[in-house]
Amino acid sequence: MNCTKCGKKEVMIEKKHSGQRLCPECFISGIEQKVLKDIRKYDLIEKGDRVMVALSGGKDSVMLLDILTSLQDRGIIDMMAVTIDEGIHGYRKDGVKIAAEHAQRLGIEHRVVSFKEYFNISLDEIMALPSPRGACTYCGVFRRWLINRTAREMGATKIATGHNLDDETQSIMMNYLEGNIENLTRLGPRSHPKSDKFIVKIKPLGEIPEREVGLYVVAKGLKVHFDGCPYSRESFRAEIGEIIKNLSKKHPTIMYSTLRGFDKIKNALKKEHSRNFTMENCIKCGEPSAQELCRACVFCQELEKKKTR
Amino acid sequence: MEFTIINNKKTEQLSLKKNLTIKELLDEIEKPLETVVIKKNGHIVLEEEIINEGDTIEVIQIIYGG
Repeated sequence: MNCTKCGKKEVMIEKKHSGQRLCPECFISGIEQKVLKDIRKYDLIEKGDRVMVALSGGKDSVMLLDILTSLQDRGIIDMMAVTIDEGIHGYRKDGVKIAAEHAQRLGIEHRVVSFKEYFNISLDEIMALPSPRGACTYCGVFRRWLINRTAREMGATKIATGHNLDDETQSIMMNYLEGNIENLTRLGPRSHPKSDKFIVKIKPLGEIPEREVGLYVVAKGLKVHFDGCPYSRESFRAEIGEIIKNLSKKHPTIMYSTLRGFDKIKNALKKEHSRNFTMENCIKCGEPSAQELCRACVFCQELEKKKTR
Repeated sequence: MEFTIINNKKTEQLSLKKNLTIKELLDEIEKPLETVVIKKNGHIVLEEEIINEGDTIEVIQIIYGG
């Protein structure tokens, strides 16, 4: 059977949820149109935005950078990028190199910032300390802190991340199963920060399945760092991801229906479960925080104690 | 029937008694289809594609755990 759209013989994907069979050209243009449509639908980008892409060099962020480039080329946005070096031996170096190459190719401002430089400890060093929390817990908090701080320093008005449909579905299920209903109220394609110091975060790929992101970068011949974080395998997210992937084999629409179902209950959840609090500044680092100390500074203090033990 | 497989950047020559589909090959090497992209002679193909004598099959892992 040929491409459902143009009739070409070379079919590279059969979308099980829609029955479409597509050739590389129709697949690529379909994905690009879908992402640009979602950007309009969810009001993710305005003309004149300075968009900072959180660019790891992996497939998601490279695809995001590739698609947002079309908006920069049309003079709608300015783009820049940041790469976080967590300090994971044998893993991060390749991604940083690829990210830098893409930024240079596109002629955009690019900064590489590391945990070591800002928090005086790498993720590998953290995980070598006695009884640490899960790696993803530190990494998530430190990474968000660094990305937001760097975005402000670079004058960004939006932070674009490469979260895909699989990531979003996992977040919904994880928070629901763990009873973190307040966290659920904060999920969605764009953030609505309570402090001016938090830059708005957007997720333009939130409705693109992870496998299609992989297919896109391979079909377009984009250079990407394909590798899994050595720490992520132990995470609860990985367990949930496995369950959803297995379910998707027999139920190919399950991720879309999870997202759509969540869209329907999100406003009700927000009304009932959003916490009202005033955002102050962390007394140590000055970043916005609901507590005296932000979580990054709490972790830093905790790690200092572990180091001296 | 002989063909070349590039998996995890390692290139190997495989010899089989009958022609396999991509899906059968992936089952054989225990790679779930949803985590990989397969190229046959440089073109991305579907799981039902048949591997023929002299083909080069590239298995690109795009999804890792977590």
